[in-house]
Amino acid sequence: MSDDASLKVSVWRGAEAGSFETFDVPMQESQTVLDLVAWVQQNADPTLAYRYACRVGMCGSCAMMVNGVPRWTCRTHVSKVAKDGTVEIAPLRNLPVIKDLAVDMDPFFDKWTAAGGAFSPTKSRDDTVEPILPETPERREADAAIECINCAVCYAACDVVSVNPDYLGPAALNRAWSLVNDVKDGALDARLTAVSGAGGCHNCHSQQGCVAHCPNELNPTASIAGLKRATVRAALKGRI
Amino acid sequence: MLERHDTDILILGSGGAGLFAALHAQKAAPDAKVTIAVKGLIGKCGCTRMVQGGYNVALGHGDSVERHFMDTIKGGKWLPDQDMAWKLCEQAVVRVRELENEVGCFFDRNPDGSVHQKAFAGQTYDRTVHKGDLTGIEIINRLMEQVLSRPVERLQEHRAIGLIPAKDGSGLSGVLFIDMRTGGFRFVRAKAVLMATGGGPTMYKYHTPSGDKTMDGLAMALRAGLPLRDMEMVQFHPTGLLAGDHTKMTGTVLEEGLRGAGGHLLNGAEQRFMYDYDERGERATRDIVSRAIYAEMRKSNASPKGGVYISMAHLGPEHVAQKFKGMVKRCADCGFDLAGGKVEVVPTAHYHMGGVVVDPDTRTALPGLYVAGEDAGGAHGSNRLGGNGVANSTVYGGVAGDVMGAEATGALRDPDETILDNEIERASHPFAKKPGNSHNLRTALQEAMWDDAGVIRTQSGLERGIASVHEIGAELMEMGVDDTTRAFNLTWHDWLNLRSLCDISGVIAEAALARENSRGAHYREDFPEEGDLDTSYYTLATQKDGTLNVGRAPVAFTIVKPGETVLPDGEPETMVAAE
Repeated sequence: MSDDASLKVSVWRGAEAGSFETFDVPMQESQTVLDLVAWVQQNADPTLAYRYACRVGMCGSCAMMVNGVPRWTCRTHVSKVAKDGTVEIAPLRNLPVIKDLAVDMDPFFDKWTAAGGAFSPTKSRDDTVEPILPETPERREADAAIECINCAVCYAACDVVSVNPDYLGPAALNRAWSLVNDVKDGALDARLTAVSGAGGCHNCHSQQGCVAHCPNELNPTASIAGLKRATVRAALKGRI
Repeated sequence: MLERHDTDILILGSGGAGLFAALHAQKAAPDAKVTIAVKGLIGKCGCTRMVQGGYNVALGHGDSVERHFMDTIKGGKWLPDQDMAWKLCEQAVVRVRELENEVGCFFDRNPDGSVHQKAFAGQTYDRTVHKGDLTGIEIINRLMEQVLSRPVERLQEHRAIGLIPAKDGSGLSGVLFIDMRTGGFRFVRAKAVLMATGGGPTMYKYHTPSGDKTMDGLAMALRAGLPLRDMEMVQFHPTGLLAGDHTKMTGTVLEEGLRGAGGHLLNGAEQRFMYDYDERGERATRDIVSRAIYAEMRKSNASPKGGVYISMAHLGPEHVAQKFKGMVKRCADCGFDLAGGKVEVVPTAHYHMGGVVVDPDTRTALPGLYVAGEDAGGAHGSNRLGGNGVANSTVYGGVAGDVMGAEATGALRDPDETILDNEIERASHPFAKKPGNSHNLRTALQEAMWDDAGVIRTQSGLERGIASVHEIGAELMEMGVDDTTRAFNLTWHDWLNLRSLCDISGVIAEAALARENSRGAHYREDFPEEGDLDTSYYTLATQKDGTLNVGRAPVAFTIVKPGETVLPDGEPETMVAAE
């Protein structure tokens, strides 16, 4: 690679209304999409807005649309996404744009709460930690869904969210499924009620955009299928 | 231009300390208005989320609070504030039960269902509770959910820029912020304020903390005249990824477990070197390995990018890929083969033990201001044990919430309007200057701190470093920022970040100069001995009228003296089997 090789990087400018602006960014051997964005802000246009924090795929602050696909920009090597020397970077889909590449994530987290995403305790700090066998079916289900970092990549990938803004979305429902399987939790029926309403789990068409794009290889579609079964069972028994 | 806002309890930061404080404050004072303000998004910025290792806690079965305490004191080389270290160890037991039973964390279990506790360096019992190697994500996600589901006021992307005292001198009035999304100033009065912004030594060329961390809290405390202790104590992690100066990947941690599992460190000539420095080889403690790597780098035994290699392939690439799945995937995403190849690494600034002087109830010298987490000094002394960081932030965040809930009862204090104006003026300073690129200055600061106030220090180096920091700080004051729009203007925040980093870099270097011995994370090549333990001192830095004063204060051995122990007679020195 020669020193003067560069990439054409198109970056979204503006808010909901706006346009792409293209910058020539020098190529480097080890370079992530986040590095491209930072280079533009530090060297070409100091007014560019974006968001990142941890740099290593733990905080989920830096997700953006890269060539139309939602990705963690900190963990996406440029060589994986550059096409004919170009990369297009846009704010995450399905969330309001604040400025340029930074979106308002509040709707995503409001839905996390609305889906009953907060644990409901049955014990207190005065009690010992409950022994829980790690290999029970419930715990395996809960664990399979638990390593979500709420980056909203799945939410941006979801076509149901884009046509139905009330849909709770894959991340919130995946969290609810983890809690439904948590034997320590005390709000099962309330949570099943929360996820079976108008914006709930039954909206999912199992198109699996979430599964295809989750950087942590989680399977929200399977979690949502679990919720569908559980809510139907609970409804038949008259619990919800 | 200035919006004004009132609350009862104001919390700066949303790591382990800030989120726990919000929950506890609301429980302690259910009628109080609680506001959480954070530089990024709630639960997403800061460093608790990045905790890989786990949470140190004595849960019995032969372990005890006394044993955890002795490990903390010895690890901190007798410099910790003993009352703080004791409370840390004692309350960690309660806090872990709270995390599991009330917050909803699920920590890894043994096959019999009991909580699994793993080995961590420098401890005499395998006591580290964890969730795989992503413990911080589990803790912060669960805490965040609890806070978001409660009526806590959120001020996100609000950067704190000044602690504003009351005009009558009775204490703290409130905090001045920049609402980063609009670029406007907002002053928030509160009866009690917790500062839990998390230190984060990002003024070094190689560093691990998240990008939002720039010592803003300590810089505000310094300007407010609060005493800071142990400021020379910067912990370096030995193996940060080295991928070039242009990428944010550089400096991020490759986990300790790689060395523990038998990974080799190789110098530029691809030779192992750790046994030249320590009989434990690669398994020596963080400080020793960091100094050894740095010494190899100084001897020009460096890898192409200027570090050393970590090599795992001899353990079997498939085995490595399975055992360190997350690390191998992270390296692969960035273009490196950790399982089968060699990856360049370098010591990287990880944690700052120093901070604001507080009492064990998180109170400071300024009534109305409380400090917890990495912003507070004392609990770790000269060195933090792996697994004590998240214990510290969650324990003391909860304590702060309890104490603020009980003490935030009086009236709001009116601010000193002159100081408020001065702080606005200070933050607006770059708009009056010709725009430049502060990124180059930040690089210069990071080079200076790395070379002259880093892993190995000397008097002449520190003096050179201090001069460089002053020059860079002066140059920054002549460098401007374009004022076309202040909304989400990251370049303005880069300027403010660098201002905070310059201010605290100067204190770190001055404190390092004042400590004429080598303790824990602080190593002086010209004073390599640890000094007399019985007359141990800690450094104390205070700024008054723009002049920094660094002194020494004797460590009070309030619980145990050097050479003694609080373990009962006949207790074994260690309960960890030798390798």
